[in-house]
Amino acid sequence: MTKKTDNEEHEELVLEPEGFRINLFKKFPLIKKFAKLKGFQFFLILPSLFIFYIIIISGLIGTPLGNRNIAIVVLWILWWFLLIAILVPLLGRTWCAMCPLPWFGDLFQRMSFFKVRTGKTNYLRNKMFGLNLTWPKRLKNIWLPNINFLILCTFSAILVTRPFVSSFVVSMMLIVATVLAVIFRQRAFCSHVCPVSGFIGLYSKTAMLELRSNDKDVCKNCTDKGCLRGNENGWGCPWFEYMGKLDRNNNCGLCMECVKSCPNDNIALNFRPFATETTLKGYDEAWKGFIDVGTSHAYSLIYLGSSGILKDWVNPTQSNNWTGFFTYVIILWLFSLVVVPGIFFLFTSLSHKLANTGRVSRMEAFKAYSYILIPLGLLAWIAFSVPLLLVNGSYIVSVISDPLGWGWNLFGTRDFQWHPVIPEYIGFIQIALLLIGLGYAIYKGFFIGQRLYNSPTAAFRGLIPVAVFSTVIALAFIMLYIG
Amino acid sequence: MKKLKIILFVAIFSLIGCCIGIGLGWTSKKPVRHNFVIKARQYSYDPAVIVVNRGDTLNFKLVSMDVVHGFYLEGYDIDCEIHPNQKTFKLRHPSQGHFWKDTTDFTVIAKGYGKFKYRCSHTCGTMHPFMQGEMIVEPNVPYHASWGGFVGFMIGMISMFYLMIKKKL
Ligand code: SF4
Ligand code: SF4
Ligand code: SF4
Ligand SMILES: [Cu+2]
Repeated sequence: MTKKTDNEEHEELVLEPEGFRINLFKKFPLIKKFAKLKGFQFFLILPSLFIFYIIIISGLIGTPLGNRNIAIVVLWILWWFLLIAILVPLLGRTWCAMCPLPWFGDLFQRMSFFKVRTGKTNYLRNKMFGLNLTWPKRLKNIWLPNINFLILCTFSAILVTRPFVSSFVVSMMLIVATVLAVIFRQRAFCSHVCPVSGFIGLYSKTAMLELRSNDKDVCKNCTDKGCLRGNENGWGCPWFEYMGKLDRNNNCGLCMECVKSCPNDNIALNFRPFATETTLKGYDEAWKGFIDVGTSHAYSLIYLGSSGILKDWVNPTQSNNWTGFFTYVIILWLFSLVVVPGIFFLFTSLSHKLANTGRVSRMEAFKAYSYILIPLGLLAWIAFSVPLLLVNGSYIVSVISDPLGWGWNLFGTRDFQWHPVIPEYIGFIQIALLLIGLGYAIYKGFFIGQRLYNSPTAAFRGLIPVAVFSTVIALAFIMLYIG
Repeated sequence: MKKLKIILFVAIFSLIGCCIGIGLGWTSKKPVRHNFVIKARQYSYDPAVIVVNRGDTLNFKLVSMDVVHGFYLEGYDIDCEIHPNQKTFKLRHPSQGHFWKDTTDFTVIAKGYGKFKYRCSHTCGTMHPFMQGEMIVEPNVPYHASWGGFVGFMIGMISMFYLMIKKKL
């Protein structure tokens, strides 16, 4: 056991290089002009709403063969890849600004396309329609999104291969989002129910984009608080965020209402380095990290692996192997909810022991270090998604001509042969992605430790088990992909 | 400057790790001939994994146990269409376009290093996009290099922080 020396308390901390911030509103005034438009969100949602309708309709009436139906191809090859590999790491919750699911709910609450209504509803200075109940306190976290995500994951094989099921699930989400908007305040569905929300929210912490107040002091002295409460220029934040305190991306839907409502022009859209925010709050967020690492590992095994048995297990409606299906469900849930966190706990306990400062509890170390799962998990999900796009992306070409699988040939590309793109190099792309994830995990791990223990030597000792854990996780993926 | 030094420092550790990994995993065996009969069924191949050595001669016969399947061997310019209850199957070389010919088998020489997948190229049912098997050509250099490289990378990162707190970097 390392002995704690007296001067450890007075050690100079290793400074984490200050990340850059470039205010895009200042640099490109056109972006700000667009954000200030009353129709900002409407213009973003309109195209996705259109695509959304096509997906629902072709899912219902098109061919049941997934890779011949535009619903599946657009949703699970194109959208999924864009979301996880580009939108989230670069632009954070930008998808949530254009997502059509909560739009009807918004419309009901506001009863207006563009005009902002003034009035009084709860703390808001906007007139809102609906019951406007407060979301139950016990559910004010992301446990429900976590569970919903796991449920979708459980049925993923059916979801991503049956157009009808995809269409049904997406429509159900739209209905639930709308009903909840009638009952509860603002975007309750997005903050506390939507299965993709936890996923997007957590990983958008790594995003290279943030919307923040320019000067927190201005906010302190601001009596208007238009960002939170709304006014005649903009709606109160639909995601319940107060700009004066906002320092994380998790729950800002980038709807740009606060840009319009802030009377002091105090909002900045910053470009920043990857993985800047390194705090997780609460076990719900930590468990989201575990679930994502667990499920991406399981998915890699099932969908990118060669086992026919596993494919039968996850596909019980065709294989009729319900025993297999329940075995898979139990393994998947235990693995994501218990095994991965359990292993992580062992490693962080060791880290806590090695650091030996007595400053924080073991559980605090567990919670703080759980952030390293975010870069690791995100890059692992991207590594998982790359082959989906490169191998099956060519279905996009044929499906464009024959969206419903009815034999149309709109653009003459219906018979375009399936053609994987550089399949023999996918492994190398995956290695590079995992290495990036590992690098961020270890790098951030040190500074998290330093914040936790307030000592660089303790942080160093504490880093060793955490770095080993990260490497083990990365290598577990390497084994599946190229081993 | 300092950034460059740090990157070089970690890169050297990773490279050493790569070399050790490759060295430990290296094998070189006398080339032999394998005759594979690959049975395709919804949604897997049997055998699902085949392991060969670089330079081996590989002869493939393909059969389908249920519906029409494909067999696209990545990195080898091979694509086949396998019909059930038939002695022959169709073969083409994707780089040469749509020239299918009937055949009873085909032969390739194992080249490259590591994992090459064979995938179903003919829509055969719901799970078709995920139907695949894998051929591993030993020595699996990318895999061994990754093992060594990742461990080396980790050691490099840890050493980097050690030097940083000792103010030597
Ligand atoms: S949280 Fe879910 S429903 Fe809400 S905007 Fe984002 S993706 Fe859409
Ligand atoms: S309205 Fe503007 S200045 Fe006032 S608290 Fe909100 S962001 Fe800050
Ligand atoms: S803080 Fe609120 S109002 Fe501002 S962009 Fe984010 S979600 Fe919209
Ligand atoms: Cu097949």
